[in-house]
Amino acid sequence: MGPISVISSLPEWVNLLIGFIIGIGFGFALEQAGFSSSRKLAGMFYGYDTTVLKVFFTAAIVALVGSQFLSFFGLLDLSLVYVNPYFIGASIVGGIIMGAGFVMGGFCPGTGISALSIGKIDALFFLFGGFAGAFLFAETYPIIENFAISGFKGPMKVDEWMGISPGLFTFILIVAAAFLFWMAELAEKKFSRPGINSEN
Amino acid sequence: MDARIKITVLLVGLGILLAFMPNPSSKSFKLKPGELLEKSGSEEIYFSVDEVARFINNEDSTVQLIDLRTADEFRTCNIPGSVNIPFKDLLNPNWSVYFNQKNMRTVFYGNGDQNANVAWTIVTGLGAENCFVMKGGLNEWFKTVMLTKFEGERITPRENALFENRYKAREIFNQINSLPDSLKTKFFDAKRLQRAKLDGGC
Repeated sequence: MGPISVISSLPEWVNLLIGFIIGIGFGFALEQAGFSSSRKLAGMFYGYDTTVLKVFFTAAIVALVGSQFLSFFGLLDLSLVYVNPYFIGASIVGGIIMGAGFVMGGFCPGTGISALSIGKIDALFFLFGGFAGAFLFAETYPIIENFAISGFKGPMKVDEWMGISPGLFTFILIVAAAFLFWMAELAEKKFSRPGINSEN
Repeated sequence: MDARIKITVLLVGLGILLAFMPNPSSKSFKLKPGELLEKSGSEEIYFSVDEVARFINNEDSTVQLIDLRTADEFRTCNIPGSVNIPFKDLLNPNWSVYFNQKNMRTVFYGNGDQNANVAWTIVTGLGAENCFVMKGGLNEWFKTVMLTKFEGERITPRENALFENRYKAREIFNQINSLPDSLKTKFFDAKRLQRAKLDGGC
């Protein structure tokens, strides 16, 4: 019964190996989906290309549906799956900084590495900026620590917060996604920029 | 039909199924009453305080002690290496990680036997394996490990080993419990964090 690794019960090198293999798969999928192009990613913000929304939202829904079914059939214990703790202020500010960096640079950290691996120079500068930001964060952490750890809510889940079952929440999210995809396609028609995704 | 529409219809269909499924986090007993009765009747579910003292002395990493008393009682004193899960908070999903470790033996203790036995029954009934009870609880621990003295004239090798084990555990118990509260809290917080250390990102 899953998850495979319960609180690092496997040797560290096996954990790292699993991460490495999943990382290769993730990077390959990102590249194949065209996410190594900053134009495609920035298109999400300008409305001419909403592939990012469709791919990531679909991935999230498929993972959600899959994990719910695995849990139902007793193959995955969801109570053992790690949930990131939620810090209100830090999440909002971090989200804004990440969003701003995303639209300015045209990558998120994962897609940046994916793009660098196929030799994109803009990704090299993007990652350099990312590392500079990480360095700055680490150096200024003592100053912002109080803010960073404020509003701690623990490992929150939306379905628990809404007081509904995970299955019902999944259904609501699927319907919301279908609606958003439809809206996204409309936006793509309205803001279309023919030829912007060509690399020439 | 467009492939995207087919996938959307499939996902919505699965979503409808999920919406009507019972909540997986709602806990229900996995063991049948007969199985539970048979397990609970066995003496093998108990560890004596001397056995627990040996675990402490050997720093046995395959044993996790669970202190079922209140947080205040736990802060006053506890068996070194134990984790405080107040009896009333037993079903909090945050603790389930302690009951689902196949390579670990989980040992419950309270002041006496009652809470530990009930906790054992609930957790084992919910499907956890390798759960045990420290027989007699902390009352027995104090009586046997903390307070007994050898009073005979000649000590046999067996008695010698037994008392040596108790004295050593007593020493560790006193050392850990004489730490200031802040250090103790930090020690246990660090231990919990270490267990939960697994992070992810985009």
